[in-house]
Amino acid sequence: MPAVQMAAVSKTYRRRGRPPQKALDGLDLLVESGGVHGFLGPNGSGKTTTIRVLLGLVRPDDGGTIRLLDRAVPAGLPEVVGGVGALVETPLFFPGFTGRLNLMLLAEAAGVPRARVEECLELVDLTDRADDRFKGYSLGMKQRLGIAAALLKAPRLLILDEPSNGLDPAGIRDVRELIRRLGRDGSTTVLLSSHLLAEIQQVADTVTILARGRRVASGAVAEVLAGRSAGEVRVRVPDAGMAATILAGAGFSVSPPDVPDGRTLLVHGVAAPGEITRVLAGQGTYVEELTPMTADLETAFLALTGDPA
Amino acid sequence: MSAVADAPATRAVHRAPATGGRGSLFRAELHRLRSRRFLRILLGLAVLGWIAATLVAHGHYGVPTDADRATARQTVQQILQQSEAGRQQCLNDPNRPTGVPPEEACGPPVTAADFSVNDFLPHQPFDLARTGTAGALGFGAAAAVLAFLVGATWIGAEWSSRSLVALLFWVPRRSTVMGTKIAVLVLASALLGVLAQGAWLATAGILRAVDSTGGALPHGFWGHLLATQGRGVLLTVFAALLGFGLTNLIRNTGAALGIGFVYFAVIETAVKILRPAWEPWLLSSNAAGLIAPGGLKIYIFDRAGRTGFNEPRVYLVHNLQAGIVLGVVTAVLVGAGVYLFQRRDLH
Repeated sequence: MPAVQMAAVSKTYRRRGRPPQKALDGLDLLVESGGVHGFLGPNGSGKTTTIRVLLGLVRPDDGGTIRLLDRAVPAGLPEVVGGVGALVETPLFFPGFTGRLNLMLLAEAAGVPRARVEECLELVDLTDRADDRFKGYSLGMKQRLGIAAALLKAPRLLILDEPSNGLDPAGIRDVRELIRRLGRDGSTTVLLSSHLLAEIQQVADTVTILARGRRVASGAVAEVLAGRSAGEVRVRVPDAGMAATILAGAGFSVSPPDVPDGRTLLVHGVAAPGEITRVLAGQGTYVEELTPMTADLETAFLALTGDPA
Repeated sequence: MSAVADAPATRAVHRAPATGGRGSLFRAELHRLRSRRFLRILLGLAVLGWIAATLVAHGHYGVPTDADRATARQTVQQILQQSEAGRQQCLNDPNRPTGVPPEEACGPPVTAADFSVNDFLPHQPFDLARTGTAGALGFGAAAAVLAFLVGATWIGAEWSSRSLVALLFWVPRRSTVMGTKIAVLVLASALLGVLAQGAWLATAGILRAVDSTGGALPHGFWGHLLATQGRGVLLTVFAALLGFGLTNLIRNTGAALGIGFVYFAVIETAVKILRPAWEPWLLSSNAAGLIAPGGLKIYIFDRAGRTGFNEPRVYLVHNLQAGIVLGVVTAVLVGAGVYLFQRRDLH
């Protein structure tokens, strides 16, 4: 059973005096149960709108279908909301209340045991500051309280929108570790929306990339990256000029690197990198380094969205 | 956040008891309202105000001594003598207009029956029969103002912090969320109204014990007073809902309080001057009409009589009519806010 299913979902914002703005344009999204699913897209691509639609905060245009934990949204949302934890953009808490009281009120409303509040506070390392007012928290502490609130229900589906915002490097590392651990436990699905491409690449098992309200790529992270790889290989030899002549003569497409050093060259469209070694060795030139160049997520992302991140 | 990376945390992350228990949004919302610092400060100030009002009233009233009464009678005698002397001077005045009867030119003789000795006492005794209803009106009005502030700031703070939106991650039925908040506010404002009326009874009890000469209360006094107090509680609830509804509609406490101020200070004044016939439909008229025993008489000067002077006509804003008007206005404001809350996209 997929954790999230969206098919042909559109959302148009209509504001008086302004032209209609299409935030989602026939979006398809499939998040299988278990693991961490990355949700990537440039600013304004519709990531947060998607999450708001999933949580019933924003009403989509007619026509699409949305299912969350196998229940239609928004009609079936009350049945499954107990299994969904969410942190959307900035944490929303009452500024005059302490961190502990903010969590306790949520727990009280949903019937979550009080002990779970303490567990979650401990989990995000806020126990010592739990009796401080929320408005006195740093951005990172607010974010951590938001994560604690999202975890309060021990959710089957955890939706995190930019969870690393405001965290220091150690905090970012810890959150990533937490997300990885949740994704590995087999019973929690994490939908992670982030503009930090490295974060998605490090943490996510699958990814959906969004541009202008539409899905432009999805699948396992490795597959998405492989799809963007051009079969490029970096070769290091004693004499780059001679090696380039030999390889060109053998039908390879060759170019110098961005910063030529006389010993490195790039070979394109290589299906089998071992062939380069064989051709060069046959002419008495021995390879010192042979590195297949795989695309990173940033490259893939920029290519897919056609938009600087 | 080192605890996240620590192994023991893993236990807490997974499969802890989730929402297995039966939650109570009503209890949580009651807890939320009770925990509000603004509400506590407001109630604290109200208690201080009540103590101050009781002390001021105690300073105003007092049990007169025999010496006080003798002094008061002496003062009345002096006034009578001065008045009679002035009248005689008028009657003996050669320049007094002829053809005008002396009674008309110099006035009738003043007697002791024209004065009440009690009016010349340094401290009058507290008379519950006379002040009971007025006190209930005053405390009811004060409670209504507090309730308006409570209603407006409660939902306003929810909108400004957007914690209302966060609550929907837990209870996605918007009508349930808003309905629960309204129910909690009705309960809290009714309690506030009861406490305010109780505070008046306490003040009256203290003054009656300390500053009164006693005396029996007229027949039906308590029933009459309790009915007034009951309507005072109803007004408190209406005021809380009006503050809530207005703020929920525009989602900003400051703007809502500003609109409230402009309405009562500017619009109502302008209406009374420019369109006196509309006065029975103003909120303040209906608030007074709801709580005042028998309703509120409004004298409307909107037409010229045979003498050429404006002769007022009297319009009675009856208790029931006032209740219906306030109820309809409250229902429209609250209903519009709830409807929009259910329809709008929330960000």
